[in-house]
Amino acid sequence: MTAKPDWKQTDIIHVDQPELSMTERMYLPQIFGGMKTTLRHMFKKKLRDETVVQYPEQKRQLRKEIYRGVHRLNRDDQGRVACVACFMCETACPAHCIHIEGAESPWPDREKYPIKFDIDELRCIYCGMCEEACPVDAIELTPEYHLVGGSREEMIFDKEKLLNIFDRTKDEKPRKNPNITGY
Amino acid sequence: MESYLVYLAYAVAAIGSAAVYAALPRDGVAPRKSFLVPMLGLTIGGVVVLLDKFTGDAAKTWYSVLLVVLSLGGAVRVVTHPKPVYSALYFVMVVLSTAALMVVCGAEFLGAALVVVYAGAILVTYVFVIMLAQQSHLGTEAQFSMMVDYDRSSREPFAAVAAGFVLVATVAGVIAGRGASAANPVPPPVEGNTMALGRVLLTDFAISVELAGVLLMVAMIGAIAIARRRFPKSEETAAYQPGEIGRHVKPF
Amino acid sequence: MGGIQVGNLCHNVGSAARTMMDTMDAIRNILADQFWFSIVLGLVVFGGIQGAVAYAILLERKISAWTQDRYGPNRVGPYGILQPIADGLKFFLKEDIIPANVDKALFIFAPWMIFVVALVGFAVIPWGGSFKWGWMEATAKPMVVQVASVDIGLLYIVAVSSLSVYGVVLGGWASNNKYSFYGAIRAAAQMLSYEVPMGMCLMAAILMTGSLRLEEMVDWQARHGWAVMYHPIAALVLFITALAEANRMPFDLAESEQELIGGYHTEYSALKLALFFLAEYSHMITSSAMMICIFFGGYLVPGWEWLNTTPTFGAALVRVAVFAFKIFLFICLYMLIRWTIPRFRFDQLMRLAWKGLVPMTMTLVAAQGLVLYMGWSQWTTTAVNIGVFLFGGFVSVAGGKAVTGRQLSLRRAEAMG
Repeated sequence: MTAKPDWKQTDIIHVDQPELSMTERMYLPQIFGGMKTTLRHMFKKKLRDETVVQYPEQKRQLRKEIYRGVHRLNRDDQGRVACVACFMCETACPAHCIHIEGAESPWPDREKYPIKFDIDELRCIYCGMCEEACPVDAIELTPEYHLVGGSREEMIFDKEKLLNIFDRTKDEKPRKNPNITGY
Repeated sequence: MESYLVYLAYAVAAIGSAAVYAALPRDGVAPRKSFLVPMLGLTIGGVVVLLDKFTGDAAKTWYSVLLVVLSLGGAVRVVTHPKPVYSALYFVMVVLSTAALMVVCGAEFLGAALVVVYAGAILVTYVFVIMLAQQSHLGTEAQFSMMVDYDRSSREPFAAVAAGFVLVATVAGVIAGRGASAANPVPPPVEGNTMALGRVLLTDFAISVELAGVLLMVAMIGAIAIARRRFPKSEETAAYQPGEIGRHVKPF
Repeated sequence: MGGIQVGNLCHNVGSAARTMMDTMDAIRNILADQFWFSIVLGLVVFGGIQGAVAYAILLERKISAWTQDRYGPNRVGPYGILQPIADGLKFFLKEDIIPANVDKALFIFAPWMIFVVALVGFAVIPWGGSFKWGWMEATAKPMVVQVASVDIGLLYIVAVSSLSVYGVVLGGWASNNKYSFYGAIRAAAQMLSYEVPMGMCLMAAILMTGSLRLEEMVDWQARHGWAVMYHPIAALVLFITALAEANRMPFDLAESEQELIGGYHTEYSALKLALFFLAEYSHMITSSAMMICIFFGGYLVPGWEWLNTTPTFGAALVRVAVFAFKIFLFICLYMLIRWTIPRFRFDQLMRLAWKGLVPMTMTLVAAQGLVLYMGWSQWTTTAVNIGVFLFGGFVSVAGGKAVTGRQLSLRRAEAMG
């Protein structure tokens, strides 16, 4: 007995070949048409000057609210780490690049806080799922994309480093919902 | 008057045949170099002496001697090299050095035509087919065990060598017997070799040229007819037209 | 004391001047001898071609950038003109990797083979006609700006370029890699196929000019006008086959990056890869030079009789410059085509050669022969060319997707019928 296929015959799609026009069948006119386009672009210096960004000297205008660069760990208004060590981001991360160790919180407003929060920036794919998953908006992606390091170890960012990034970027991109922490 | 040349030609052919026989691959074992090198040296030396005796100035330059050595050595490697791809490449070397010899002798057109036809077209096809049959080998140890039977050892080595060299000895003997004067190259015509050759080919030998052309044409048509793909009857009846099932979608 | 010293000094200076004069005379004699002049010219051409190739790669990157609204390399030197030096240095300094399972001898041999073959073709190109040095007697034979003036010039180029397929095939096979091998197979089939229409085009030109020597072809064009007027379609087809022979777009199936990684040079690195590139660009220059000599008047400028015939060294230099400029235009055209036209599929490629170009060029050869035999005006072939083109266009239009469509003869329905 053969297994029933899970597709119907009507699912098959035949894409017909496009009908060629007269000039397309002659082939040469189309080639010359194409070369006209190429030539037009070749001699359009204005378009080049408008579109090209000479990177190290000029920089692209980023949309800072949504740009997904390196991560940061937000601080709350008392300067403490905002994270509550709920492991949501670690669970949501498709690249498994977040490693959290939680401990009992010394502060009354929450039960747990992270004593260790490592992100392997080389493994990260910058999808922003952690940001989506975070219930207290503690982890966020910043518009910083100059991410360099001399070794793999250096590219594993720990809690301090991530908090530093927050200090560095909080003026450029303020924390979205500062008052969430509270449970 | 120069009958010793004939015997010299026979002797060279005999030594050459012995050397080639010894050099043919058996069971994938490379030939013994200690025996091979002096034998081949003798043969090539003999050939150079022969050429010197009855081709006049053309063989007296160092480069024509070099070309003779290259072409003969290459020819030996064609039949003795255990890897078919290398054999074909040595064949290319033989063709190239022969073409160069032709140029030295003043037959540039023939030389260039030889390169275009043999090295440029026929041998490329050979290399193509050989490469399709056989991927590059892993290493010298694994090489011979991976080879197919007909590459590991030559078939009928004695008969092949005997037949080949009897032919060579006969031709060489005849040329040697005709003496030095007859084999000297004719001085090239005033208007140039190529033009003279073209004139002869299209007047005196027009029919032969046309016949050769027709033969090649027939061979090509035959090859196309053989290579054309056919489907067996049973498949034909079961065949459905493309687009019989499913829905049609306009492109774009 | 002082007087003696001065006298000595004068004597020394005089003898030095005399030695210099002797040296100058020796140099002049050497330069006035065609053999030694050819050797000098060969070295100059070799160096010139290497430089030209390096800058052709820069030009390619620039043109590709411009057609895509970018700037191209502009960091090394002003406008990036020193980029070729940086590229060359990089090629030299990279690690030269020979993978473990390759056929080592052929793997090393292949790039050199293709490189040498691409370079020796320059020998018979007439760069700038003939001239006489100022110190030569009026009766002396003029010097020829050509490395070797052989009786079979054109055939020599064909023979040499037919050998260029070996480098590709051997490199692909020796790499012991499926992608490389696919590239090699495609290259071999493609080059063999396109040699046929190329030979036909050349044959039409040979019949018309009555010579195999490139310099005599140029002379013929000096008398009758550029050959492209009489055989426009043959010139076009020759250009197409030159694209195919050089493995350029739209015929670069041998190294199509999207399918075969790098084709036959996938496994190559460092200097060997550089040799493949040098060979490709040298091949472009050779084939452009050949086409210019045959169909586009070589070093001639139409209407400038004084330039085309003046037998001085300066005029010869200007003619070389004219020739180089024409080559430059052709190289630009190559590159423009590369960045315009998409790649052919393999069956389209074969069909274009065997069902399109070969019959067309065969007709042209037959027509040229007939014109010669009947003694008609040479302009008859222009009419034949236009006729062949129109007929080809008509077949293409009436027959549907003549070149770009699927290969119908392999369809089941067709095979049944």
